[in-house]
Amino acid sequence: MKKVLQITLGIVTSVGGFLEIGSVTTAAQAGAAFRYQLLWAVLLGTICLIFLVEMSGRLAAVSKHTIVEATRERFGFPFFFIVLIGMVAISFLVLVAELGGIGLSLQILTGIGFPWWAIPVSFIVWLLMWKGTFGLIENGASLLGLVTLAFVVAAVKLHPDWGTAAHGLLPSFPGDQKAKYWFVAVSILGASISPYLMYFYSSGAIEDEWDETYIPVNRFIATFGMSLGGFLSMAVLVVAALVFYPKGIDIQKFEQASMLLTTALPKWGFFLFAMSMLFACLGAALEISLAIAYFFAQGFGWNWGEDLVPSRDSRFCFTYTIIIMAAAIPLLFGVDPIKVTIISMALTSAALPLAIVPFLFLMNDPIYLGKHRNGWVSNTVVAIVVLISFVLAVISIPLEIIGS
Amino acid sequence: MNLVRDVLDKELLDCEEEPMGRVDGLVMHVGKSSQPRITHIEVGGPVPWERVHPALARLAKRLAGMWGPKRAGEVRIPWSHVETVGRDIKLDVEARETGAIAWEIWLAHHVIERIPGGGSEEADDGY
Amino acid sequence: MDSIQSWLATAELVGEAWLRHTTPDKYSRQTLELSRETLLQISSDLLKSPPHSVDSASLDSILTRSRVSVAQMARLIQAKDAPDFGRQLDSLRADQKLVKQLSDRIESRQ
Repeated sequence: MKKVLQITLGIVTSVGGFLEIGSVTTAAQAGAAFRYQLLWAVLLGTICLIFLVEMSGRLAAVSKHTIVEATRERFGFPFFFIVLIGMVAISFLVLVAELGGIGLSLQILTGIGFPWWAIPVSFIVWLLMWKGTFGLIENGASLLGLVTLAFVVAAVKLHPDWGTAAHGLLPSFPGDQKAKYWFVAVSILGASISPYLMYFYSSGAIEDEWDETYIPVNRFIATFGMSLGGFLSMAVLVVAALVFYPKGIDIQKFEQASMLLTTALPKWGFFLFAMSMLFACLGAALEISLAIAYFFAQGFGWNWGEDLVPSRDSRFCFTYTIIIMAAAIPLLFGVDPIKVTIISMALTSAALPLAIVPFLFLMNDPIYLGKHRNGWVSNTVVAIVVLISFVLAVISIPLEIIGS
Repeated sequence: MNLVRDVLDKELLDCEEEPMGRVDGLVMHVGKSSQPRITHIEVGGPVPWERVHPALARLAKRLAGMWGPKRAGEVRIPWSHVETVGRDIKLDVEARETGAIAWEIWLAHHVIERIPGGGSEEADDGY
Repeated sequence: MDSIQSWLATAELVGEAWLRHTTPDKYSRQTLELSRETLLQISSDLLKSPPHSVDSASLDSILTRSRVSVAQMARLIQAKDAPDFGRQLDSLRADQKLVKQLSDRIESRQ
């Protein structure tokens, strides 16, 4: 019975916690610029994420190690340090974007510019980390994130031609704006396959003391939770396709995206968008801060745990305090969070091999997983998607830089 | 026992199963006729950075000298204190006594405990 | 030209949304201001190296007029003057059509 409850909670928190500024921005851009054509990118990213999340949970449950712990132990400190630099740098950029997302949501609600919100928002995020427990953060933020279901409601209310939309699930080549098409595709992949999710999920499995009996639970949560989350991203894309594409609006600023729900939901749409982004970005900001702190703590062998009083894991708490404070700085100077989002999503795709290749080695290592090693399906799907993301990123990022 | 695989980079737990860092380095005695054996475990300081690049080790030493606990160099724990080698390496000493968590305690006293809600790191109940 | 049409459409969408009471005053006004500023920046860049098949003087006047409409709309929100707002919105839509025609002409000549 306890496991059934955990499955339900796990799926619900996966859905509520799925969207964040990266997935919403990239999906909205895709729908506005290319109608349904890029649905395949969301699908591909989600499928890959399902496998990666399932693997993260399985590694933790069987080996009782988080991904970071296993990476350092298996590959040694020098290699681990390289991965740390890459992953922390990119996750930091995403954190800046998420804090900015909270600020922008408050901006459209109050009219007060997001730089003014930088300090209050990062203080609140820090306070929740300082005082909160893992359960409160993981479940609380994600349950609030369920307000993002408004996107699905809006998609249904706008009566899209589901047949035409379904065609978008198959990869297609763009007519014009080729460079932009592949760049947005790469950004969607980077937004879906966020490494910080993997590190957070495996740490969570250890905090929740999973063991081998949790393998089926893990599979359920990963599959259904992430699939439903993927549907949410697709809903955002579909709504953007119906609201912005016919008008020829290209989403470059948060203010433009804010009108996403007002057509389908006249009375509450604007408010729901603001609240969706606020809670979604808040949840993501908490997860990323934890993920970065976990990376340092687990890699260097510090005491760590969100349920501990801060002075019992002082280096861990010090790390996330510094990270959150630092992430507020670009926002204070008015750096546009949407621009940071787009850049960090594309960079994530380019850096995926750094996170995933060692991870795949671990998932096939009998010392860590015994008989629960990866099958050929997991290995193949992940390897192919990561290869595609990397190649597309390496090609399209320079083209986009040249183009703009 | 494969030294690299089974000992290096593994997590160290003290006699109360508290984490106290990782095995960043090993000091070995290589005799003429006998097998090389580990004499000490090295934790912290410039030891792990030495493995990446010597310049980083020098930088780590300099930064540690400017700030933080006075006893912030690397810590050497005699191999005789190792109880078990398994998923982690369990020692029969208290973390505090080895000096391996000097930074942890220093940060707790000088930064964390000064912030409201930070608690006290000497309290028995850590929750 | 695509960016211009995108931001004209943004202003039009906000205008329509405000008239239907689906967006709050402050946000609508700020977004119209943002649209106007962005249009100004894009227009000045565009007119530095204007497209060949179009009379840059007429393009400039259409764009200036549309920016004035957008600015007026922002002011009228403060005054909560819906009827005048609606008239400015229609003027904006008319300019949008003209810009679209010009854009199509440029594309067909390429």
